[in-house]
Amino acid sequence: MTWFFCAALVTCLFASTTPALAHAPLMGIGGVFGGVIHALLVPEHGLTLLALGLVLGRQKQDARRLGVLIFVAILTCGLVAAALIGEETLAADLLLLATCTLGLLIAATWMPPRLVLCLAALAALMLALDSKPDGTSAVESTRMLIGSGLGATIALALLAEGAVYLRGHVLLIAARVAGSWIAAIGIMVLSLRIVTRMTIG
Amino acid sequence: MRLRTNALGRLAAVVPLVLAAATTSALAHSENGVAIDFWGGFTHPIFGPDHVIAMVAVGLWGAFLGQPAIWLLPVVFPLVMAFGGALGVAGMPLPGVETGIAISAIILGGMVAFAARPPLWIAAVLVGAFAIFHGHAHGAELPIGADAVAFSMGFVVATGSLHLGGITFGGLSHWPAGRVAVRAAGGVISLLGFAYLGKIL
Repeated sequence: MTWFFCAALVTCLFASTTPALAHAPLMGIGGVFGGVIHALLVPEHGLTLLALGLVLGRQKQDARRLGVLIFVAILTCGLVAAALIGEETLAADLLLLATCTLGLLIAATWMPPRLVLCLAALAALMLALDSKPDGTSAVESTRMLIGSGLGATIALALLAEGAVYLRGHVLLIAARVAGSWIAAIGIMVLSLRIVTRMTIG
Repeated sequence: MRLRTNALGRLAAVVPLVLAAATTSALAHSENGVAIDFWGGFTHPIFGPDHVIAMVAVGLWGAFLGQPAIWLLPVVFPLVMAFGGALGVAGMPLPGVETGIAISAIILGGMVAFAARPPLWIAAVLVGAFAIFHGHAHGAELPIGADAVAFSMGFVVATGSLHLGGITFGGLSHWPAGRVAVRAAGGVISLLGFAYLGKIL
């Protein structure tokens, strides 16, 4: 019962996310806290963390913790790279691709550990590269990147450990349905972005 | 193992909570008059009554067939719908989309009305085939040029909620009188499908 309402709470939080607008989820909030908010409220990032948390939560304890460790390590490297790279990348699209794949794995309940670790690494790198704030000073940008790293790490650790308790028939079905929804969202948005890029440039 | 009534009741109790959390302020609209946010995506399928009845029919049929169709059909539908949506976004022509949507209501409603119990894979293929038409219709209307993650989230959650509505009502089929009501609902959906096919509605 308690975990059911925890799952409902997580659903509410993700339902309350809004579109990413020039990497400023909340106007006037910057610094480390702004970065934490960014990691939690940008829909693509939230979806990725939810999908990865659900997948890691279905792994054995060692594989799950290794997955979180790999995520944190790659995320850290990626955030350093994001601070140094100035030009726009395809990170958002590759992040959606990773999210989509994770959603399909959840829906199919087929989660080979090596594939999951690879996807965790890909998601961490793309999430980091997609976290660079626009139009801020180098110091402010660094603070927000640190916040994004902290927010993503805490959220993933909580989701992965919380997903372990998704037991029982109804909750496992709810997880599969959530996986299919995540994959569907990923497919729709990815196709829209590709078409938009081809149409508008 | 059947879904228990109290589990369905809990799910039904959570849906309004998720809907309440999903409310956002009214933002600007795209060129084709569609709001590009969660709420815009959420209302998109709901304002198409031909889509609504077909998606409710998917839930009804799933509940009528019992395990594992009760969760498999609502997992298959959004995944295949997303592929159809990608075709629509890409501008790939699909002949007879509106006809296909009307026929989906006729067939799926008819399956419930006549208490048809085909093998699971046939039910899944049937639902998936019709999902392509629904997805294509929605995908073709997605606002190009927008970052549509929140829109797609709303869109997919609305579709899932309609399935959930059908499943909840279909849960009545555990009782003799409820079984009659569910089959009657299937018949009404089928008749409405004929009305849409004949462009009476």
